[in-house]
Amino acid sequence: MTMPACRVARPKTVEEAVRILADSGPEAMIIAGGTDVVPNLQMKLFTPRVLVDIKPIRALAGITMVAGGALRIGALNTLTEIVDSPLVQSNYPVLVSAVATIAGPLQRNMGTLGGNLCLETRCLWYNQSYFWRKALGGCLKKEGDVCHVAPGGARCWAVWSGDSAPALLTLDAEMEIAGPRGSRRLPLAKFYRNDGIYRVALGRDEMVTAVFLPARTVGRRGLYHKLRIRDSIDYPLAGVAVALEVDRNGVCREARVAVTAVNPAPLLVNEASEWLVGQKYSPELVERVAQAAIRTGKPLTTSASTPVYRRDMLRVFTRRALEEAWKNGRD
Amino acid sequence: MNKELIRLKVNGEVHEVAVPPHKLLLDVLREDLGLTGAKRGCDDSSCGCCAVLVDSVAILSCVAIASCYQDAEIVTVEGIAPPGTLDPVQEGYALAGGAQCGYCTPGFLICTKALLARHPHPTLEEIRVALSSNLCRCTGYMQIYESVQLAIERAQAREAAKPAPVGR
Amino acid sequence: MASHSHIGKPLPMTDAPGKVTGLGKYADDLTVTGMLYGKILHSVHPHARIRAIDTSKAEALPGVKAVATGKDAPNPYGILPIGHDERVFALDKARYIGDNVAAVAATSAEIAEAALDLIDVDYEPLPAWFDPLESMQATSNWIHEQKPGNVEKEYHHEFGNPEQAFAESAFIREERYYAGEVTHAAMEPHSTLAIWEPDGRLTVHSSTQVPYYLHRTIAEVCEMPMSQIRIIKPLVGGGFGGKSEVIPLEVAAPVLAKKARRPVKITYTREEVFYAHRGRPITIADLKVGLTREGKINAVAARVVQDGGAYCGYGPVTVLYSGALLGALYDIPNVRYDGYRVLTNKPACGAMRGHGTVNVRFAFESTLDQLAHDAGMDPVEIRRRNLLKAPCITVNGLRVTSYGLPECIEKAAERSGWAEKKGKLPYGRGVGIACSHYVSGAANPIIRSNMPHTTVNIKVDRDAAVTLFTGASEIGQGSDTIQAQIVAEVLGVKMERIKLVAADTDLTPVDLGSYSSRVTFMAGNACLEAAKNIRAQVFAAVAKKSGCDPAVLEARDDFIFSTRDPGLRMNFDEAAVAAIDFHGALVATGTYAPPEEARGGKHKGAGVGPSPSYSYSAQVVELSVDTETGQVRVHRIVAAHDCGKALNPLTVEGQIEGSVYMGLGQALQEEMIWNEGRLMNPSLLEYRTPTTLETPEIESIIVESNDPEGPFGAKEAGEGSLAATIPAVANAIYDAVGVRINSLPITPEKILAALREKEKQRGGKVARSNGGRR
Ligand SMILES: Cc1cc2nc3c(=O)[nH]c(=O)nc-3n(C[C@H](O)[C@H](O)[C@H](O)COP(=O)(O)OP(=O)(O)OC[C@H]3O[C@@H](n4cnc5c(N)ncnc54)[C@H](O)[C@@H]3O)c2cc1C
Ligand code: FES
Ligand code: FES
Repeated sequence: MTMPACRVARPKTVEEAVRILADSGPEAMIIAGGTDVVPNLQMKLFTPRVLVDIKPIRALAGITMVAGGALRIGALNTLTEIVDSPLVQSNYPVLVSAVATIAGPLQRNMGTLGGNLCLETRCLWYNQSYFWRKALGGCLKKEGDVCHVAPGGARCWAVWSGDSAPALLTLDAEMEIAGPRGSRRLPLAKFYRNDGIYRVALGRDEMVTAVFLPARTVGRRGLYHKLRIRDSIDYPLAGVAVALEVDRNGVCREARVAVTAVNPAPLLVNEASEWLVGQKYSPELVERVAQAAIRTGKPLTTSASTPVYRRDMLRVFTRRALEEAWKNGRD
Repeated sequence: MNKELIRLKVNGEVHEVAVPPHKLLLDVLREDLGLTGAKRGCDDSSCGCCAVLVDSVAILSCVAIASCYQDAEIVTVEGIAPPGTLDPVQEGYALAGGAQCGYCTPGFLICTKALLARHPHPTLEEIRVALSSNLCRCTGYMQIYESVQLAIERAQAREAAKPAPVGR
Repeated sequence: MASHSHIGKPLPMTDAPGKVTGLGKYADDLTVTGMLYGKILHSVHPHARIRAIDTSKAEALPGVKAVATGKDAPNPYGILPIGHDERVFALDKARYIGDNVAAVAATSAEIAEAALDLIDVDYEPLPAWFDPLESMQATSNWIHEQKPGNVEKEYHHEFGNPEQAFAESAFIREERYYAGEVTHAAMEPHSTLAIWEPDGRLTVHSSTQVPYYLHRTIAEVCEMPMSQIRIIKPLVGGGFGGKSEVIPLEVAAPVLAKKARRPVKITYTREEVFYAHRGRPITIADLKVGLTREGKINAVAARVVQDGGAYCGYGPVTVLYSGALLGALYDIPNVRYDGYRVLTNKPACGAMRGHGTVNVRFAFESTLDQLAHDAGMDPVEIRRRNLLKAPCITVNGLRVTSYGLPECIEKAAERSGWAEKKGKLPYGRGVGIACSHYVSGAANPIIRSNMPHTTVNIKVDRDAAVTLFTGASEIGQGSDTIQAQIVAEVLGVKMERIKLVAADTDLTPVDLGSYSSRVTFMAGNACLEAAKNIRAQVFAAVAKKSGCDPAVLEARDDFIFSTRDPGLRMNFDEAAVAAIDFHGALVATGTYAPPEEARGGKHKGAGVGPSPSYSYSAQVVELSVDTETGQVRVHRIVAAHDCGKALNPLTVEGQIEGSVYMGLGQALQEEMIWNEGRLMNPSLLEYRTPTTLETPEIESIIVESNDPEGPFGAKEAGEGSLAATIPAVANAIYDAVGVRINSLPITPEKILAALREKEKQRGGKVARSNGGRR
């Protein structure tokens, strides 16, 4: 497998990067760590004319406390840097728990948070070589007009397979996005479009510059459970992140549950906050939320395990994650 | 495709090579610099055979576009010890069975080197995690752990054998 | 007996320096001036007639130097003389998605890839066969016209009187087992560099376990005399059987090189490695085992269907091994076996570590566990009651010369704490035991002949360097080291003195190759013979020079000395020169061919299974099952292996652990997933070999039964342990949660479904366990 020929632009500033993106239109593609882009390029899933390498942009890295107590994580911070960061560890345990499960240490050393949040959606019928897809005749997402997962449908179900996004959803994270008209903020929950092809709300001339974790979510007890076959080098087959605020009396004051790898977007389980806030722990309550999680998650045959099993595990993992966060969390 | 002249600092030496701008670091090392120590084992960056150090961090050279790493200190397996000598890590793998067919070995050596630079005395669990993006099909990993342990002992022994610094 | 200097020592591998410095060369590391890059065009159809191929556009692409199709090399080949059904490029039909249709050599890999897209192939798709049970019912559209009904081969064996024995059995179990398809996934993708020499010869560097078969095949396909072809095996990054027959690129590169009159290198992508495959076939085994009240296995009957893929390969050998080794591990007087090798439109299967024995062993040892349960007997005890008494000949004619299985069972049980654990661990945690065995090389060669299976030459020069010329193929298993150890031991010299020239057909005599775990036993014996010959010549010269009787001489630590006269002492350098002066040259040849008595019975198919000796293994697995997710966590595997004599305990342990690891992968997570002949997971990301994190502690125990015919008593160590791991896992799962999974891999999903089924049958909830989750 070879790389498709293309130019590589190496902007030094965000403005310059955005300008190149704007000038090159659909022919340009951002590359950060490259752990998603490069394998995809070799499979000829994309054939950009120019790769915009954003690694030289120094301003895009740095984990810092900003005014008001929010935490800013740069788009270029690597996953390893996030896991190793004392600031993240002590304030946002759910994020560490999730990021530590991504791929393996070598990929985490290269992969960036920005890249992880802008990952391509994945599907067994899509993430294949040029030859393989040719033998298949393509699919809805690429080179064809049939979805092999849901034949007859007009929608692509390629699945969101990132691990950090669900954790960040439970922390009410915001994206900082730069474009030709300057910078804007967007709640992460609004960033994803739940469409296998048009996965994120990002203009062709825009880029993610940072993620903000608000001060109000500091210290939320949380953790991430990931279904996978191997304990390393494995994308999630389903994943659940939970973050709770529990008061001294064991009453839940805030709650978020988010699921990943079961839809074209990472999604918050909306009922969770509604049902959990004001409540004390009970097995029935937790089971009810777990049931809600499997109404949110709609896995199809996009990956190795069956949809039935992935749904089942979503329920078990949601229940377990809630139990553990509730009981073992620190105050 | 037009070629571009790039400068890479590999194993302490600066190389100037003309390569297509999108060429992968792994391919530049192997094809243009003749450093065939780093290997290709997979198509999708999932095996770890191609690991090299970039500014002391272990990365996958099959993911890196060479022209994007021009300011970095790159170290390949050929460069982890001065020519004609072996690093304790290499001794460990050679003596304790860590290299059977040897194809995964450069990747393991690089990751072990990076681990020991940060944690000279890792626990077994830390070793397992640090090596968990390197696949080995031969060893079942047991003798790899033993190789790492031996490397630690050898490094310690070397440290101890160093002449004591003069003065205080 | 005097203690050894090198034998039995945990010496590092002789080729380790090249491997740890990155300076050792594997096939893809090689380049030569003017080298072209070859790429192969693969079929996009599982079964299609090829009406026409137009290569003109590809040929016109600048940078393209040669395009080859089936017409350029129409001669058929195959590893078995009865199975010459492959061609380097399909001539008439493509038989699986990924089959080889044409190839391009160009000045860069990018150009070669682009040229593939310019080749027009006119296909006429044909109905295809994917399911082996359906395929063997086919009445038309056969995959090979000469194989009616898509059955490559079938064998029917009966020994003793199984019918009567079943009638007399107190307990009988009949079960169907299924094993998914697995592949070697050696870390090195195949690579071949074929150099067209200026004098019209061909030099081929290739990642192979069988350089001599490759030599023959290239000669046949390229229509060149073997004398004009040289095969060199560089370092090989793992084989496990995947490089033990000729792989298409190994012929495609020479064909292109000959056509372009230039060097051509082809290196497979990982995806192509999956299409080249030759792994372990999908196996459907219907097994029936009968047990007497006393716990003696008195009959076994098996019907085994193997889904061999589109070409013969080693297929008939695989299906014969399954039958021959099914009953021969224990003392079983009555055996019936019906084996079918079926063709389907998928990549060809072949030999993979534990060749032919693994899937039936899973079936057998799982069934035996159930029978132990039925008879109220401990699984260790039931195995004790069914042991062979070596030396003996099994009911199907296999000669057993040494049998360390009893000790393996006792040691594995003891070291794992079996007695304290079996049936006594909390719900969710369990232990399981299983055994296996394997051949130390096949007693009969693939191509019938009377030539030795191995020949080695030793040459000692005036510099007193000892050079061993051996055809044996080091592929990471340590065979170079073992051979050097044997020679150094016999000659009483330091290891550093031994130089090894290996697997280069211009320089080294024929060795059949690295398969069926034959190298230590066979090449080892040949080395022993050659080295003894050299030693005798040296002793003769020393005796002559010092006027003593050669019978009093001994060699050790680089010295020749007399056991009688302490003053007589000569260093090896001097002694070697004396011997050269005395004999004119100091050279010797050693050979090995298995003895006539080891070659098996006379029935059809009796040639496969016989071996000069067998290795044995017993394993205990301890694991936990999470009953809500079905996930398994293996805590520890204790594996005792009888390798006769551990010539090098370090490499033996490495082989045991590697085998167990591979068995564990097949047991729990590896499987090639098919959809209409399409491989859904042709990558190391989706074909999930275990990482460090799922691989448990493996404790290897060496058992030494000292085989009377092995070199220094040695037998095989590289394959025999694999098969036991899988049923030991299955049996441990049963011990943990009381469900039996008869289908591989044992995924969490299957366990969960079985637990729910059990729950339903009991009409209530079963106990819950989180599998010791932290
Ligand atoms: C073997 C393997 C296993 C993996 N397993 C997992 C896993 O388990 N979980 C998981 O979540 N991921 C996994 N990944 C994917 C990947 O490693 C990570 O998601 C990583 O964080 C991606 O970051 P990157 O910087 O390498 O992204 P890149 O590959 O550089 O980019 C990814 C995508 O994001 C875009 N992009 C990157 N940065 C920006 C930005 N700042 N603004 C806008 N767009 C941007 C790119 O254009 C591209 O579309 C795996 C990858 C591999 C190779
Ligand atoms: S070659 Fe496999 S990870 Fe780089
Ligand atoms: S030593 Fe062969 S793959 Fe690791």
